[in-house]
Order: sequence, then structure tokens, then C-alpha cells
Amino acid sequence: MDKLNSTLTAVKSLRSNVRQCFEHLADGTDGEAAEESRNKFVHEFQDKFGAINSQLREVEQLINALQVPQTAYSLGNTAYLALETAQDRHTLYPQLVNSYKWIDKVHDHSFLAFNNLNQNTLRRSYNYCSQKRPRLPFSSFNNDPDHIDKLLSEINTPPHTSYRVFRPFGSNAVAIVTISNVLKAAIVFKGVLIEWVTVKGYDEPLEQDDLWAESRYEVFRKVQEHAHSAMLHFFSPTLPDLAVKSYVTWLNSHIKLFLEPCKRCGKYIASGLPPTWRDLRTLEPFHEECRNC
Amino acid sequence: MGVTVLQPYPLPEGKSGAYIIDHLSKRLLSLGATHAGQFLVDCETFISTPQHGGAPSRAVHVLHNSEYPASTFSIIDNGTGKQVSLVADNIFDLLMLKMTATFASKKQTKIESRGARFEYGDFVIKLGSVTMMEHFKGILIEIEYKSCVILSYCWEMIREMLQGFLGMQVPKDYPNYFTTQTIMNAMGQQQLLHAKHNDLYEPMDTVKQYLEQFTNYRKHVNVHVGGAAGVSVQPIHMPPSSIVGVGVGMGRP
Amino acid sequence: MAMASVSSARESLQHALTNRFLPNLEYLLQGSILDSAVEHLMHRLKGLCDNVDTSPEPFHDLEVCMSLRQPNSNQPLLLRVRRAMDRDAPMQMRYLGQPEVDQRRPTLVRSCMDCACTNGILDFLTEMGFRLEFEYLAKGYMFRKGRMKITVSKLIKIVHGKQQDMANEPISQSYIVELSVVAPTGQENVGEEMRVFAEQLKPLVQLEKIDYKRLGPMP
Repeated sequence: MDKLNSTLTAVKSLRSNVRQCFEHLADGTDGEAAEESRNKFVHEFQDKFGAINSQLREVEQLINALQVPQTAYSLGNTAYLALETAQDRHTLYPQLVNSYKWIDKVHDHSFLAFNNLNQNTLRRSYNYCSQKRPRLPFSSFNNDPDHIDKLLSEINTPPHTSYRVFRPFGSNAVAIVTISNVLKAAIVFKGVLIEWVTVKGYDEPLEQDDLWAESRYEVFRKVQEHAHSAMLHFFSPTLPDLAVKSYVTWLNSHIKLFLEPCKRCGKYIASGLPPTWRDLRTLEPFHEECRNC
Repeated sequence: MGVTVLQPYPLPEGKSGAYIIDHLSKRLLSLGATHAGQFLVDCETFISTPQHGGAPSRAVHVLHNSEYPASTFSIIDNGTGKQVSLVADNIFDLLMLKMTATFASKKQTKIESRGARFEYGDFVIKLGSVTMMEHFKGILIEIEYKSCVILSYCWEMIREMLQGFLGMQVPKDYPNYFTTQTIMNAMGQQQLLHAKHNDLYEPMDTVKQYLEQFTNYRKHVNVHVGGAAGVSVQPIHMPPSSIVGVGVGMGRP
Repeated sequence: MAMASVSSARESLQHALTNRFLPNLEYLLQGSILDSAVEHLMHRLKGLCDNVDTSPEPFHDLEVCMSLRQPNSNQPLLLRVRRAMDRDAPMQMRYLGQPEVDQRRPTLVRSCMDCACTNGILDFLTEMGFRLEFEYLAKGYMFRKGRMKITVSKLIKIVHGKQQDMANEPISQSYIVELSVVAPTGQENVGEEMRVFAEQLKPLVQLEKIDYKRLGPMP
């Protein structure tokens, strides 16, 4: 072990000498200086060069004197990786290191995200007021599959609307709503809370394995935007069932998406789109531009 | 794929087709529409060679629509008012050539509509000039609302859009192709065809509207040539439904 | 507004033909094997073919052959329409030309056109004047090796007017084995490739080019 240590030290000093030598070369002479300083420069360089040479010899000697270690160094569990004989598994070690790096990164990012989300007051799923004021804890995000099934079946469905409920993510439900021949919407629940809504055209595929892709039609992308703001509007953690019911009623008003002119300007089309906004209370249709004036 | 309405545009006296197309394109562009490529719809008709006397001659119309470049659309008319339609791969064109002994192509009635394609929101508007044997026949305007599949839902929108860039009134009724049509069947009885305005729209419906319009244009030339040159022209067989369509039809201002 | 104008469908089809990327020739070898020995053949094919990671692909097709009498010719035009009974797929229409009798070629070669159609095709052909020539069910398995297709199937006669499936009976006590490739014109090495593969299936099944002329007129 001592030999190894002295060899490593020798290598280290060799490296620093080489570095000094190059630094010296890079600094150069004073420029104006005469013969004298130039001679001095060359001499110094020769000295340093000589030192490098002798050190190089020394390192070589030391290396030759090294012995192959009798027993393998203990590397902990990672040693087993080297024992792998199959050729294709030799790459496992770099991959392992990479994964550690990634896990570190994920940890950092999630920490930042956690801090950011904590400041966001639109946080809906968790009971954050209870620390200040003891209140009846609401349990809308709790999962009771039977309850959701019951809730969805209780919703007063108009005959032209059909629901298909399935649970691709464990116990959380996803309802695919088909409103007449106009549109399809996927409502992703977390417990009884609505987490996400995707709106697509009647002739577009909307299946459980692709709930997130946007519609290829401008009008449904706009409707989806409005559906998201309505989702936040109807959010009510204390009366979750009522929130879902009123939201679905609002969504159903899109049955006449193409059929009704805007309540304000009386026209069907504004910048290529029909009235995509439905008033949250009266369910009246408006163009996006007309709704705020 | 959405509801499509096809309308002929009446040519005003003394204006050329190119002038009208240019005028309409400018209106569309100033409305905010963007130019998005070209389109082509063509139609070739094959007539069965007379075999055993008495059997009505059958016509196979083969159409292509550049919006569906891998498909060949064909409609057969068996001469008694029955139509069967088929969508197939392009290879169908080669199969038709295998039957030239039984079904001969009427080369002189090859007709097509081609021109520019515009997009505005979810609307697609196509301004087509119709030519038959290199002769200009008229202008067909196609308007499609891609995101809706049933005409009765979005007809008012399409109508507003049409009025907007054509600068003219469009009647409130559904276009003729979508409403109930009365046709005469072989026995001379009247039959009611099912109205289509509440049906799911299919690409075949667009093709059938084109065939209806093309048939009108072809009929015009036959009357014209027959009258002027005094040559008796074998009338091409036409689906009775579209003959009715001409009378009531889409020739609105 | 200058934009490349669209080419017509006829033009692009012509382009495919002249540049020889439209597959329009079928190379075919046929043979048959007894029911009792078919398991061995299946095992052999599982070892040789590409698509056996899961299990051989089953198929169950109804083939209807329609004919149109042509004036000035005693050969009627035949079109075969296939419908998959076990899945939802477009119907396939196939035109097959007269087989070439060329002794030097290792396989039978005939012109072939495949065309996917909507369901109205049989009605459409009937209106055109086609008449039903024959129909049968083919039920079996499909294997793939490179561009070669191998089918092992049972031909079943259709008995009309009775309970479906119950009344239909197999035509014989054996399976038909077909090895085919559909390729564009001018690819001469296909036949050789198939001959080598057929060699590997011997002696289980003897795949040969069948001279239809010797079998007498088409059924």
C-alpha cells in the first residue's frame, strides 16, 4: 500500500512539474530584454526539463516495483458487478451510476416543485386549512369506488348523453362522456374531485390509453380550455357531489355547441369558431371575445 | 372529416371564371383564411356495353378526391334507380381496366374540379374550376366544417360562413342533397329517399355531391352540342335522383 | 399563390407501375398434408418463421368467387372477395391472372391485384353483372418468413340454410399448405428464395407448382 501511495505522489509531482514547465514557456521572456535574460530563460527551461525527465524515470521505476495485489480490494457490493461474466452485462455499472445521478436530480426537482406547490392557493386535493382552524375534515379526495359509481349513475342524464366509467389507475375513476354526436370528454377523477378534463370531437378516438392528447380541431381545444376554468369554478371540497353534478350539467350544455348563436353578438362565427363559452350559471352561449364585454 | 356542402357559383354575365376565383380568394384571405395547398376531384364514367337486348345499361362512376388520396370512390347505377357505392384502394382503377370489354370508359365525359384550398379555423373552403375535356364549365364551391359530423347541427354556421365570403344570401333550407328527394323507380312509382341531414356524414357523401354536380354539367354540354351541331348524341345515363336534383336543386343564386 | 398542383390518382398509380413498386405478381407453391400430420408441420414452421414469438396467427376467412362473362372471350373474369369472420377488417378483393407456364421458373407465377374495399363490394359486383361462382371457408394459420407468406388452412364447404358452423363440413381430410409472395415485376430471385424454403419443409409436405391446365377447366 505504501508503494502505491508513493507512486501516486510521484505521478502527482510529475504532473505539477510538467504544468510549471508549460506555464514558464507560456510566460515567455520580457520582450525588450537582451541576450542575458534570454539565456536565463533557456537555462531555466533546461533545468525544468531535466527535472521532468528524472521524475519520469522515477515514476517508471516505482511502477515496475509495484506488485499485483494478492487479494481483490473490497469494493462493497459493487464488486459483484465485476464478477458478471456475461458480456452484455458489463455495461451495468455505468448505468447504475447514471441512475443514481437521475435519482438525485429527481429528488432535487421534486423538492423544488413541492415548495412551489405549497405556495399555490389553488391546491385542491389536500386539507391545508385544518392546521389553522379545526374544521370538519372533508374527505372528497378519499376513494370509495362504490360512491363514485353511485354518484355517476345518479346524475340526471339526458338521453343523448352516455357515460362509460373505467378505472385505469387503480381505484380512481375515469368517465368518458359522449354528448350526442357533438363531442366526447374524458373526466379524470381523484376520489370525487375532478382532476382533468380532455375534450375531443365525435369522430376522434378517445380511449383510456390516450387521455391526454389534444383534439385536432381548434373548436374542441378551445372548449377544453373553458372546461378547465369551469372545473376550477365548480370546485367545492365541502360539497363534492354537488360540484360534480353541476359540472356535468354545465358540460352537457355543449350539446348545442354548433346550433346556438352567441347571446351577445347574435352571430354564429367569430374568428372561425362557434360560441365556445357557456355561462356558468345560465348556460347561455357566448363567443370568447363577447363574454367579458 | 366533417360535414361538407357543395354549391355551384353562378357566373355573372361578362365575368370570366378566373376573375371570379381571384375575387373570391381575395375575400377569403381578407377574412383571415389561409391558403393551404391545392385540391382535385375527378370523375370518369364507364358504361356497360349493350349485351342482351332490353337490359338497361349500367353506369359505373369512378371518382377520386385529393382529400383522400389513397381511396377510389365508385358509384354504380344499374339503370333502374338503384345505386350502390363503394370505397376501395386505388388499385380499383386497374381492375376497372380489366373490364373494358364489358364496361367502356366514356373518355369525352371525363370531368374534374381543381383549384385552391383555404383554411379558416376548422373550416376548409375549396374554390374549384370545373373542366371537361379542357373546357371550362363553371365554378364549384366546397365548404367543409371539419369538427362536426351532422349537417343539421352546423348548417346555420356553414350558411353564415358562406354568406360572409360569397356576399350573397343563402336560403335557410338544407341543401338539396340532404333533404328528402322523390325519385321515380323502374315501375314508375314514386319513392321517398331518406333525408340525410341527421345522418353521420361520410366522405362518400362529398363524392356523391360532386357526382350530382358533374352530371348536371355533362347534361348541359350534351344539350348544347346536340342542338348546335345537329349531331345526335347518345345521352349518358344519369341517376334519376340527380335529374330531380337539377330541377329543384342547387342552382340557387 | 403558386403551389405545386396535385397529381391525379391515375397519375400516381401509373408512376407506381412504371417504377416497379406496385406489387402485382404472385409467386405460388402449393401442397397438402393430412390432418394427422399437421401438428408436425406446425412445429416445423414455428421453428422456421418470424412471427411465432407469441403464437401462430389464426385466420378464418370466407372467400366468395364472382365471375363476369366477357364478350369476345370464353374466359370469364374472376374476382375473389375475402371477408374475415373472426375480426373487423375491410373486405379484400383479389384479381388473379392466368398462370404462366414457364418450366424454367421454380414457382407458379401469375398477375395479382389486391384491393381493400368497403362492405358493399358483393352488392356492387352483383349490380355490375357478376354472378356467384363458388364460395368456401378457409380456417387455419398464417406464418411469415421475410416477405414469404405461408398458410396452413382447412377448406370448408358451406351448407346453406342450416345452423351456421354446425352444417359446414371440411372438404377433405387434409390441410392445404400455400407458400406465396406478392412482389413487383422484375424480381426474379423471389422464386429461388421460395424453392429453398420449400426444400426445408420436405419431407413433411411437398410444395409444388400446380399446373391448372392439367386439372381441367376451373370449377
